[in-house]
Amino acid sequence: MTTSERPDTAAELRDAIRSSDPRLSKFSPLRRILAHDDFNSGTHGWTELLGNYNGRGDLSTVDDHMRDFRPPQLSSCTFFDIGTHGAMSGTYALKLATRPYEGHTATAIRRLTMSGRGLLQLEAYFTFKAEATVDPSGSDQFGDVTWDGNLHPSEAQFGCFTVATDLCGDGGLRYHTVARYLNTSLDNQLTRQWVYPVVPEPTPREHLEGKVKLGYAADFTAPNPDDWKPFGEPQELCYNEVPTKVNWHYLRWLIDTRERRSVELQVNDRLMDMSGLPVPPYAERYDSLENLLNFYFSVRTHSTVRNFLFLDSVLISTEW
Amino acid sequence: MRQALTAVLERDTTFTGDFVTEPYEAAWAGEARWFVHTLATAGDDLAIRMVTQISPDGLTWCDLDGEEHLVTGAGLVTWPVAGFGQWLRLRGTLAGDRPSATMRIYLTAKS
Repeated sequence: MTTSERPDTAAELRDAIRSSDPRLSKFSPLRRILAHDDFNSGTHGWTELLGNYNGRGDLSTVDDHMRDFRPPQLSSCTFFDIGTHGAMSGTYALKLATRPYEGHTATAIRRLTMSGRGLLQLEAYFTFKAEATVDPSGSDQFGDVTWDGNLHPSEAQFGCFTVATDLCGDGGLRYHTVARYLNTSLDNQLTRQWVYPVVPEPTPREHLEGKVKLGYAADFTAPNPDDWKPFGEPQELCYNEVPTKVNWHYLRWLIDTRERRSVELQVNDRLMDMSGLPVPPYAERYDSLENLLNFYFSVRTHSTVRNFLFLDSVLISTEW
Repeated sequence: MRQALTAVLERDTTFTGDFVTEPYEAAWAGEARWFVHTLATAGDDLAIRMVTQISPDGLTWCDLDGEEHLVTGAGLVTWPVAGFGQWLRLRGTLAGDRPSATMRIYLTAKS
């Protein structure tokens, strides 16, 4: 038996222990688990994102498009019709909720640093909903959806959700890997398409230098819709007909911080190759961000209806 | 160890008319407290009256109790919240001549 044929006893033992643990067996982590966030025990460092402000703590210096991303909530997924739905595990999920304002975004960001380079994986169980409408004068039609007893107009009231990183290292080189599920176009037509941006995110310094000025509810990840490109085939997720039925979806996203790119995205049974997608870095180097390892989820409404993204649990693991 | 959480529901928002804050879920919490930090005001005879509201579904709201909390100028005002349901929000009414107030509104909650 050569060395390469020798069984990896440590790996087998890790797998056996993990598979017998109901909290972890629903994940497929890499070798080292950095964070396992079950929102029955708090928010685990997933917090609201806020833009930068000056040395006097003057929040009016925060960019308009980055000052109102709303605080995440611990939600029992409770609805007007059935009461408490609960999460996939236990009672609570982390909920991101937009305002009922077209274009508004809610975020939850988790801030770590890199102690190595290489493969990095984020896994999550999530679901997404538009807020229910209870209004006798309401409409059975929205966007390109008319209620037919099955498809519900609320599905067209959901805009998009995004999973992304904010990464920096190697002497201040900063970049983002990003995947967005575009449920509807900006004019509320069902698209159900995964997209990625081809430009880096605008920064507060660019605003300060007069290069960019975005308004309230602008898309902070990539403001120009033309800068989002499709990858993979359209994917229909399980909305389950009405805004008050919750089905949990699996997401696994592998990136490579040595190569500074995404590798692949798995959502339920769909595996999408992202290894060929460009990840444009910022032109200038950054100070004070060395080894930055941030993850964020965001949800954006394309209607005047609140949009929600619920996270049952999240796991971040690495090969370093 | 008890769970504790602070949410900033309004961040230096300038109100010139009646308002409500966005719905916030706090069913996990056994107690809560509002902190309303008024940073600046304008107008004559300013009076902002705030009331805690609760909701079973995040859609329909009623006042929790009859208590009004008054702001007439800059400073910090706080009050506890107990016996609430799934959601919390603040309802504010503004009175005075061209009233305006810039406010930071915190909701703190503990299990």
